[in-house]
Amino acid sequence: MKLNTILVVDDDENDQFICEYTIRKFDPTIKILKAHDGTEALTLLETVTPDGIILDINMPVMNGFEFLDHYASRFRVHAPVVAMLTSSHLGTDRERAMRYAFVKNYFEKPLTIKHLSQMQELLSG
Amino acid sequence: MQSEHRHSQLTGILAGLWCILVGVGMMAAWLAEPASLAERYPSFFGMKFNAAFAFLLIGIAFLLALARYHVLPILLMVPVFVYGTLALSQHLFGLDLGVDELFYRPFVDIGTSVPGRIAPNTALCFMLASLAIMLRALRGGPDLLQVACAYLSVIIAATSLVGYIVALEGAHDWIAFTRMSLQSASCFLAVGIGVLYSGSRSAAGKTAIAVSLAITTYLVLLSLAYVKVQSQMLATLPAHPEALATTATTILNLILISGAIYVGLLAYSYWNSKRYRQSTSFLGESQRRLAAIIDHAIAGILTIGEDGTILSANPACQQIFGYQPSELIGRSVKMLLPEGERAAGANVLRTELLAGGEREARRKDGSTVPIDISVARVELSEGTIYTAIIRDISERKHFEQQLLTANAELEEFAYRTSHDLRSPIASSIGLLNISRELLENGEYDALGSTLGRMERNFNRLDGLIQNIIVLTRDRLLDEEDQTILVHDVVQSQADTLANLETENRVRIGNYVDPQLTIRNKPSKFEVIVGNLLSNAIKYHDPQEPEPRVDIYLEERPGSVRLIVEDNGIGVPEEKRQFLFRMFKRLHPSRSFGSGLGLYILKKSAESLGGTATYEPKEKGSRFIVELPNEDGGK
Repeated sequence: MKLNTILVVDDDENDQFICEYTIRKFDPTIKILKAHDGTEALTLLETVTPDGIILDINMPVMNGFEFLDHYASRFRVHAPVVAMLTSSHLGTDRERAMRYAFVKNYFEKPLTIKHLSQMQELLSG
Repeated sequence: MQSEHRHSQLTGILAGLWCILVGVGMMAAWLAEPASLAERYPSFFGMKFNAAFAFLLIGIAFLLALARYHVLPILLMVPVFVYGTLALSQHLFGLDLGVDELFYRPFVDIGTSVPGRIAPNTALCFMLASLAIMLRALRGGPDLLQVACAYLSVIIAATSLVGYIVALEGAHDWIAFTRMSLQSASCFLAVGIGVLYSGSRSAAGKTAIAVSLAITTYLVLLSLAYVKVQSQMLATLPAHPEALATTATTILNLILISGAIYVGLLAYSYWNSKRYRQSTSFLGESQRRLAAIIDHAIAGILTIGEDGTILSANPACQQIFGYQPSELIGRSVKMLLPEGERAAGANVLRTELLAGGEREARRKDGSTVPIDISVARVELSEGTIYTAIIRDISERKHFEQQLLTANAELEEFAYRTSHDLRSPIASSIGLLNISRELLENGEYDALGSTLGRMERNFNRLDGLIQNIIVLTRDRLLDEEDQTILVHDVVQSQADTLANLETENRVRIGNYVDPQLTIRNKPSKFEVIVGNLLSNAIKYHDPQEPEPRVDIYLEERPGSVRLIVEDNGIGVPEEKRQFLFRMFKRLHPSRSFGSGLGLYILKKSAESLGGTATYEPKEKGSRFIVELPNEDGGK
């Protein structure tokens, strides 16, 4: 199965820009959805279920973990590949994120073609 | 000690008075010459007129010596000493020196060999007593020779006195028909005891003297009696009935042995009482020492009975619990437990208290105090008691809490900085990769905007680092209080911000009295003002036709309130609890802050001993920083 839609959740404009650029380069046919924090993302997900979600942890209003809690409890159908994309590997963030069944990857910023290939492999395999 | 001294002084005075009384009385009796009385009670006139006069002198001299006169008692005692010496030499050498009827010719002769002549033991006692009193007058206090003289005269007098009681002539008659009279014996006894006891300060020494006097007197009497019985027996039992003689000897030996046993017991009981006195004094001493330690201990010390009754409490307990020691003693230790633990049974209580450690206690005013308690079980012959040593650890707990808070804050700071510092760098690396591709492809327009993004990234990083520097400096900076013109500080911060603000839309109203000063630390105060203003400018409402920030200063007793009001976007209610936390950016659409601004503001205010609070307005925000200001004003 091919990655058709990816939701990028990040408050930082630059990171959004990098993600968009990299995804375009990886596969220009992929449809990109954007959200700047957890609440925006949840609203969006009520209408669409993307093939993959790229999720930042540190965001104002609703951070990545708060989003994961809501996403796990309120939605029955989840995106097949949810990848965390974060600035640092510090602390117990990784373990905490991997406890959610639908979280498949844990990437360090910036997003690269390699990261997207891994997501594609997970979806196909 | 003082009362004992007064007591011994009294002994001396009474002795002197007794001598005067007896002396005067007997002189009067002799002068009255009651012939019928002398016939009926001949022994009453056993005391000679001269002796009575000598006793009068002795009594007066002794009182004077006690009153610390030096010359007068000696003048009085020299004649008495001479009289005693002469009287004794008459007996020794069989002379008549004419001292017997010096002042008075007796109308009756009783108990003497020559009219008016005193007994040899009386004469010797006169010598001893007058010598002792002269020495006392000379020295002003007791010495060994006085003690020896007095001791000897007391033994002679006591022996003769007891001799009257047990009808043993040898005790008062050193030579036949010349006896020491009852009155004389009593006077010598009184003076001797007076000399021995007045002025001496050691209680133990007095007891020793008393005991040895008793023992010696007894031994003298015992030997006299033995000699008398022995000689009379030999005289009256001419050795014929052998058996009877043996029995008499056995009885005599029995008397001697029983006397020896009595003396031994007396000595032993004295030695024992001395030891007991010593050990009680040691015990008292160690008790006083222990009491001093307990009374001055910083820790609270309680002793508790088996049933939980408080038996004792030291003054430190009042510091800890607020109760006077007297309010604690006799009541149950449960009164010191927090409400919830009072129901516990005595057994549970005991086990738990014995475990010791940190726990809460209830104070008199109802508040609780954290304490550290260690309890020891002490088995005594009267039962088991528990000693509890209690320390008030509220200060330690307070510091512990502060440390925990500081630690948690530091941890969060490390976590957040590592993330927030890396974040712009990570995105710059991404942007750099993109820029290189754009350059290779010759897409210069896109390259320009990407480089612009990178620039903003680095500016953001720089801002964050500046903030961290401020925070660190703020934490470490130890500056002196200075007089600050608040109006000028606000104006200079506003000018700086106006230069940075490209749009320059926000109008800053400085309503602080230009004359008003406060005493505080200037750089921290500048940080506070700067943060309040930049925050208000950052979060102004772009839709607002006239965005503005107004600054006021309110004076209160002992403090000032710096108030910064804006008509900006405000803070939604559900987010207000996060306002002063580090790395909280509450406005997603305008996330250009480091998330440290209000945290720095709060920390700065707290380090100045003040507070920072937020109040919502109908439109916009109101931040209030209250700072202590003791001697502020114009």
